[in-house]
Amino acid sequence: MTPRLEGKNISVTFGDILRKVEAVKNVDIALEPGQTIGIVGESGSGKSTLARVLAGIQVPTSGQVFYEGKNIWQGKVAYSGQMRKKVQMVFQDPYESLNPRMRAVHAVTEAVSFHQNVSGEEARNVALNLLERMGITGQDALKLPRALSGGQRQRVSVARALSASPEVLIADEPTSAIDQSAQSQLLRLFNELIADGLSIILVSHDLGVIRYLTERVYVMESGNFVEAGDTTQIFENPQMEYTQKLISSIPGHITKSR
Amino acid sequence: MATKELLVDIDSVQITVKLSRTRRLQIVDYASMQVHRGEMMGLIGESGSGKTMLCRGFTGTLGRRDAYISGGKLLFDGIDLVKAKPETWRDVRGKKIGYVPQSALAGPNPVLTTESQLREALMNDKTLDKNAIRKRSMELLEIVQIRRPDIVMKQYPYQLSGGMKQRVMIACAIALNPDLVVADEPTTGLDVTVQAEIMRLLKDIRAEFNTAIILVSHDLPLINDVCDRITVMHAGATVESLPSSEIKNSKHPYTIALYKSRIDLAPPRGELITIKGQPPAVGSWQEGCRFNQRCDFVTDACLVGPHPRFINLTEDHQTACINHASISNKVGSR
Amino acid sequence: MDEPGNSLVFTGSTMFVIVVSAGILVPLFYRFGPYDFVGEPLQSPSWAYLFGTDQLGRDIFSRTFHAVYRDMGVAFLGVSIPFITGTLIGIILGISKSKKTTSLIGSVIDGINAFPLLILAVASIAFLGPGLSSVIIILSLVNWARYAKIARTKAVVVSKANYIEAAYTLGYPKRRIFRKHIGPNVSSETIAYALSDFIIVILLVAGLSFLGLAATPPAAEWGAMISEGRPYLISSPWVSTFPGIALCWSAISLSLVVDGLNRREGKV
Repeated sequence: MTPRLEGKNISVTFGDILRKVEAVKNVDIALEPGQTIGIVGESGSGKSTLARVLAGIQVPTSGQVFYEGKNIWQGKVAYSGQMRKKVQMVFQDPYESLNPRMRAVHAVTEAVSFHQNVSGEEARNVALNLLERMGITGQDALKLPRALSGGQRQRVSVARALSASPEVLIADEPTSAIDQSAQSQLLRLFNELIADGLSIILVSHDLGVIRYLTERVYVMESGNFVEAGDTTQIFENPQMEYTQKLISSIPGHITKSR
Repeated sequence: MATKELLVDIDSVQITVKLSRTRRLQIVDYASMQVHRGEMMGLIGESGSGKTMLCRGFTGTLGRRDAYISGGKLLFDGIDLVKAKPETWRDVRGKKIGYVPQSALAGPNPVLTTESQLREALMNDKTLDKNAIRKRSMELLEIVQIRRPDIVMKQYPYQLSGGMKQRVMIACAIALNPDLVVADEPTTGLDVTVQAEIMRLLKDIRAEFNTAIILVSHDLPLINDVCDRITVMHAGATVESLPSSEIKNSKHPYTIALYKSRIDLAPPRGELITIKGQPPAVGSWQEGCRFNQRCDFVTDACLVGPHPRFINLTEDHQTACINHASISNKVGSR
Repeated sequence: MDEPGNSLVFTGSTMFVIVVSAGILVPLFYRFGPYDFVGEPLQSPSWAYLFGTDQLGRDIFSRTFHAVYRDMGVAFLGVSIPFITGTLIGIILGISKSKKTTSLIGSVIDGINAFPLLILAVASIAFLGPGLSSVIIILSLVNWARYAKIARTKAVVVSKANYIEAAYTLGYPKRRIFRKHIGPNVSSETIAYALSDFIIVILLVAGLSFLGLAATPPAAEWGAMISEGRPYLISSPWVSTFPGIALCWSAISLSLVVDGLNRREGKV
């Protein structure tokens, strides 16, 4: 079965001749159709860089990314044409993810009219419905980002990403900057979207979040994959010390309470 | 536990912000909490619940945000902090009460080395000379488990990781051996591994120096792990105060909901309980209990009147839910 | 209307509207023109001549308000042209990937910005000759650099923001991202600067005219009028005073607006 999204021999090196930083060192990663996977690691592990390579917004120093078998890079442009809609991204910082001068409904309407064959009033209605599904009321949809909470902003970002009807959603630490209650709401939303057929690549430093949502997880440290496998396996039987360290750091120490 | 001496006594505190010459906004209208000597108290609430402003009451920095305590009493070790004059604050701030700010925001002064940072904190005590300061600084870095203190002393904040910066801030906070440390979301924005280490560090400090710690957070599992007692705040009011070991017998719908919505309790891809809606924004508080739009146990009585005050269930457990009796057996095992 | 910022903005805008309306209505409906010799020179203000007459017997009231379109108009052009060009250049520089051109043009910008505006203006007038059009030309050639600097810095920050990356992942064409996402967020900063700049330019125009370098007689312009009234400051102070008040009024009204907006931004 061709993986839906696949990265082969991905390496990303930043810097110049004097100082090099190897953010990602020759990794392979694959997302099968209908699957939801996680990339877990601490800050500086390279997980966000890898996510951005898969999303096509970071050029890898070497290696290739394939969507359904086709190389996403055609010349200097990634994901051209119809392919662009298939893979969308949600970012970590809710305060930076939305255009501060655009009201929530406008941000989503823009995406809707661009990707779906509707415009004007109809596009706006589609956008409002989409926001409603994300739990953003009609009244909140009219607000500017600064009047919305972190959790609400994240959900507007998700609505915007979903306007393109993507197959894959790459979420880069979507829960790290929001309250616990907002985290639960967002994760529950992701769960519903997965049930509707969306594939999610979840990047996080919190294994608890990964454990809830993913089937397969890649553990990343300093640019390398330290361990990879089925999520339940990793949790019940972590092989590497680093993985064990991550597990024992989950608030609540679930391994102890179980 | 043996009865401990009461260190902090907050009763019905109200905090108001001055928006302009004529406009006032109440951001906390009922806060009650008691912290004993050497106790670790977790203060939980969502953004906007007023928990940060309440902390500022302990450091006397409300004025900088054009806010003031408009009612109630705030006693620290017998000192009335509501009416405290600047001289009193000079005595208390930094010496008897230490403050650790939110990791993502403040942190150490970017133009000062660790050494200078600690020196500033220690200079509050006029009896220490240069040598004593140097000695104590190294001692502090060791207490906060920084591995190469001699190197770190000379470094600037930009050379330190997030976790290390917070350790330096903690070192500054405990520099003069305060009775109370207020840590406002000290690990928000840091990796979970670093978070776990910092929590362990705070526990160690409490154990060794019998320092009382008020730990502010939005993360219930984290607080539950680490603290002796928990006080929960929602939309400007404290709604429950109980020992953390009693969390399963919580008697307030908000606490129950926070507990049930823990991600680690949910089966993979299974049902994840969430609290519906958002807390009411400051300035648009509704009548009655401010949780009534999000509550699973709401009754008509919850929709009217002022926000409920604490009801004493036992000596250790207070709740602000008027229906506490009827919700007692709905917290099942989860 | 409770916030302090709002009352400042309101007061300032009202003052501004008053002087601009007068600048439109007076020339249209007032009985005296700015160049008419209406009576005896140096008559003090009276019901006949509301602001008095100047040394040539012209009506000061009429001249003061005819000057509005010169002072304000020139200032407006002298700000809007640099604002548009400077912001555009700044944004393009900010998002450009070519290191050579950006550092080259960046150095040019910094070079221009190193000189105080007044010095450059006086020096250029020595070249171009006096006149209001010279002022506009100089400002367009030089003042854009200040906007470009601000715009470039903000553009660099904005272009790295997540919402711009999101726009790329959503497949929006570059033109659209430039126009609807980067543009508005950068120009919000340069517009703020433009408002303050407007005040500076009004005073610059009046100042240059005072020195005889911009508006030339018999033009009705505040700076020139103030200058013409200098010999009569003690004996007939109204010749200089009324244009002076008009100048101050305009500058203060805009300052109030800028202050009020700043206060609102600061609090919110």
